[in-house]
Amino acid sequence: MSSIALGAAIAVLTGAGAGIGIGLATSKAAEAIARQPEAKGDINKALLLGCALAEATAIYGFVIAILIIFILK
Amino acid sequence: MDIAEKLTEELECRVAFTIPVLGGIPIPESCVMTWGIMAFLVIASILLVRKLKKVPKGSQCLLEIGINWMNNFFLEILGEKGKKYLPFLETLLIYIGISNTIGIFGFRPPTKDLGVTATLALFAIVLIQISGIKERKFKGWLHSFIEPMPLLLPINILELFIKPLSLCMRLFGNVLGAFVVMELIKMVIPVGVPLALSLYFDIFDGCIQAYVFVFLTSLFMAEAMESEE
Repeated sequence: MSSIALGAAIAVLTGAGAGIGIGLATSKAAEAIARQPEAKGDINKALLLGCALAEATAIYGFVIAILIIFILK
Repeated sequence: MDIAEKLTEELECRVAFTIPVLGGIPIPESCVMTWGIMAFLVIASILLVRKLKKVPKGSQCLLEIGINWMNNFFLEILGEKGKKYLPFLETLLIYIGISNTIGIFGFRPPTKDLGVTATLALFAIVLIQISGIKERKFKGWLHSFIEPMPLLLPINILELFIKPLSLCMRLFGNVLGAFVVMELIKMVIPVGVPLALSLYFDIFDGCIQAYVFVFLTSLFMAEAMESEE
């Protein structure tokens, strides 16, 4: 029972990487917009795409945690 | 515990009905939802395409804006060679977009089912390889496994399966996560708060995931199609 909880908790720790990565990306994007406000549209698109892709690794951790909780007995 | 049981029940894929043929074929509800979305899209397409005029008016304007945006978006990535794949990719985009956001109406999104996303990833594998074979002919496609270095052959073969696998898991994980959070919120505070949060989880997240899925598929296709002239 407790090893299942431990396993799920460790699996969800991957969210930390996504948080840091997306935070860094957003800070660079904000800097870039401040430097050249006309490029806002392109920067926005690139940022959104990058965030969706980086979020995926956090989601993998979440899926594994859900699988662990519901499939292991 | 009450909440845990309810949540487990929600996460399973229920069987909607059973066709009484050959000893009963169970039809999961994601299949029925997909049929519903298909019927809606077909009827909408037929209704919107009646009486097209050369100078657009009304709903035809919106239709042209949408289709133009999608066409430009894909042509930019795929180049001229990709024109024949446009209808399929756009249909994929519309279908995934609608099925992700259908949670707003209280239905269960069909992409919450791992089977649906795995099938979509299967489409992606087949499409990417077919576009590569068509563009470079069979020998060129086999040769692409050896570029840029023969040492990378096992990695290239693995990549064949891992790229669509990541597509599948990303879509599944996002939709499942959004669904679970929305269910938990609805169980705790049924009024008011789900509306505001649903704007983020259901609509924003769903649209972005559909966009990312199709964007990545077309990116992989462009990569498979490029030949060194």
